[in-house]
Amino acid sequence: MASVEKHTLIITEKPDAAQRIALALDLNQGAKRNQHDGVPYYTAKRDKEILVVPALGHLYTVAGESCGRDRYPVFDYKWVPRYVAERGADRIRTWLKVITELAKDADTFIDACDYDLEGSIIGYCILKYACGNKEKVSKRMKYSTLTKEELEKSYTELLPHLDFALIEAGQTRHEIDWLYGINLSRALTAVTKNSSGTYANLSTGRVQGPILKFLVERERSVRSFVPVPYWRIRAQIEICGRLFEAQYEKQVVESNSEARSILSACKEKNAQVKSIETRQFRQPQPVPFDLGTLQNEAYKLFGYTPRRTSSIAQRLYLDALISYPRTSSQKLPSTIDYKAVLRNLNKIQQYRSLAAELLAKPELKPHEGKKDDPAHPAIYPTGNPPERILDSAESNIWNLVVRRFLAVFSEPAIRQSMKIQIDIDGQSFHLNGMRTLEEGWLRFCRPYGGSEEILLPAIKEGQQISVKKVILEDRFTNPPPRYNPASLLRKMEKTEIGTKATRADIIQTLYDRKYIRDDRMIVTDLGLEILEVLRIHCPKVISVKLTRDLEERMDKISQKDEKREDVIASVVETLKPILEGIKENEKEIGERLTNAARKARLDERIIGPCLICRTGRLLTLYSRKTGKRFVGCSNYFKGVCKTSFPLPQKGAIIPLNRSCRQCGWPTIQIRTKGRRSWILCINSKCPSKRERRQRIEMRSMQQRST
Amino acid sequence: MKCAACSREARDNTYCELHARAYERITETYDRWKRAMEISWKEYLSEIAKNPLTGEWAREVAEQLIKAEKEVDVENG
Repeated sequence: MASVEKHTLIITEKPDAAQRIALALDLNQGAKRNQHDGVPYYTAKRDKEILVVPALGHLYTVAGESCGRDRYPVFDYKWVPRYVAERGADRIRTWLKVITELAKDADTFIDACDYDLEGSIIGYCILKYACGNKEKVSKRMKYSTLTKEELEKSYTELLPHLDFALIEAGQTRHEIDWLYGINLSRALTAVTKNSSGTYANLSTGRVQGPILKFLVERERSVRSFVPVPYWRIRAQIEICGRLFEAQYEKQVVESNSEARSILSACKEKNAQVKSIETRQFRQPQPVPFDLGTLQNEAYKLFGYTPRRTSSIAQRLYLDALISYPRTSSQKLPSTIDYKAVLRNLNKIQQYRSLAAELLAKPELKPHEGKKDDPAHPAIYPTGNPPERILDSAESNIWNLVVRRFLAVFSEPAIRQSMKIQIDIDGQSFHLNGMRTLEEGWLRFCRPYGGSEEILLPAIKEGQQISVKKVILEDRFTNPPPRYNPASLLRKMEKTEIGTKATRADIIQTLYDRKYIRDDRMIVTDLGLEILEVLRIHCPKVISVKLTRDLEERMDKISQKDEKREDVIASVVETLKPILEGIKENEKEIGERLTNAARKARLDERIIGPCLICRTGRLLTLYSRKTGKRFVGCSNYFKGVCKTSFPLPQKGAIIPLNRSCRQCGWPTIQIRTKGRRSWILCINSKCPSKRERRQRIEMRSMQQRST
Repeated sequence: MKCAACSREARDNTYCELHARAYERITETYDRWKRAMEISWKEYLSEIAKNPLTGEWAREVAEQLIKAEKEVDVENG
């Protein structure tokens, strides 16, 4: 691998990006793949030899200066290779060794990592530490798609140096998150360990605390909710032989007596059309996707979590199918060759007619949103067709991005709303209709973003209508909705905490720590207790304002309006009294968290109620003799109930909090890595199992007979 | 002293902080129920205790209040 002639060394963030860049830059389009100690790198021939070597995301991280995993507070830190700070990161050692060797014979260095906060730090650390302080002489490739054209352009128009302000802002963010995370998490874990002698993986962080606060506030509202009765009145009317439902003018009738008097007033009376109001309006095109809106839309349409959407979008980006997804921008600058993208899409069967329609327009002007991002435009398709078969989730996200891109260049939809006011013996009812006059962009988004059409028949003012029946509905107010991954992400965006790259991961951490569960997020007792401890002993840690202010100060570093040292010093000053407070109240905090962690562990084992003794709870237990797991009643230990059922011995058991439709016993889900999860009723004598067994027997008999 | 509805420490001699908030919600909401229909305090408690939309803590408080009222009734013969 050693070469006499000096070469150019390009650093990329991921192996896929390295391959794409090498292929794009090689004049013969035949970049060679090499491997050294299992680390891939590519050789491309151009004016001179170019070696393209990938990183594996972050190869360096922040770690404490001194040893000791339980010690807190710790305010001294340094940047170290990840294998020094993390267990199981040994591969990084070889990786860095190979990069260092490749750097020896290089005379030109180019950072081609993603042009954002994280990518800038990845490239900077490798150039500084692995390549021997080459960060100051390194040039920078800036691109938003991994297409050959853009990569070549980016290589020929290299930025003369790294964006040091952005790097500084990124480093500060990592260092501050480390200071918060390591100190507070160690403090919580240590006080619990000192109190109970057992280890519990507890954590909080600069962003995690305020998010948990949002969730707990909502949880408290839901769990303290008291429904209030109200009534809704509908009239079923017949127009031109078709039945329609008109709503009473007051959506909510708060008193039973009022509702009943309206009902009796309308009984067996005919209706008359009092007025007809029509309104025509323009429904503007959607704006291009930034990461947040893409994540929201994907959750709404396909149920993908924000983290899943983010990782799918990243794969599509590495396949050069879409532009860089971690963007806040809703703008498509004119530097993007819209026509070229549309011409490429025109070659793909499913988009041909739509792309052709847009290409025929005299001018292409995107309908843009307000949000902007200095580093990258909004997410857009490159127009390249997939080089491999996309799985259904990838295909869905790609299709969504393409259709949204097409829609932003189309025309607004023209729609018409109609409101018919109907009088039934002095009581006013409304009938609302909606129809599309000109589809405009709606056609481009199909099958997504459909619009509701409520077509009303031709009707005149003063016309008599027959009332079939008047319906009185008893209703109750609903509790506030729980957050789901998408709505929590929106809340984080709205309150401006976290970054587009980290928000989805922070939500996942809350699940991993068992502070929340389920898609409709339920805060566990452990989550409630952690927040309560933080609220009493360190309220600043859960302050949304403080977190937002810190975000602003970190952003100012990238604009050179704030100094990194000042921001870090203020963080240390904030943390010191908080950590002292935790130390002083170690006993009380330790007891609370120990109890909560113990209860959380017990809750995890609860499968559901026992239907035999009716007072016990069914738990996952382990046999002392065989070590095998089974379901047993909690009353067994009191000598009251001997109910037990066998359990599959492999896979994680997830209680579903649902009863079996056939026998009423609790159901569980078994999740095994690499296999499809399956749902099981714990009752070994459940009729559903008998039916299944019979089906299997029948099938095997049939197979034998054929 | 323990909360009347759970095993947490009571804040104001009756309920812990979580159940105290639920109790406040129950008393506040009773006025709205009275405006909506003719209903006694006892009937109201039993209605919200069986309503599936009632929050977990509010239900626990309602059930505890029903139990406490029954005990008072027994004591009074």
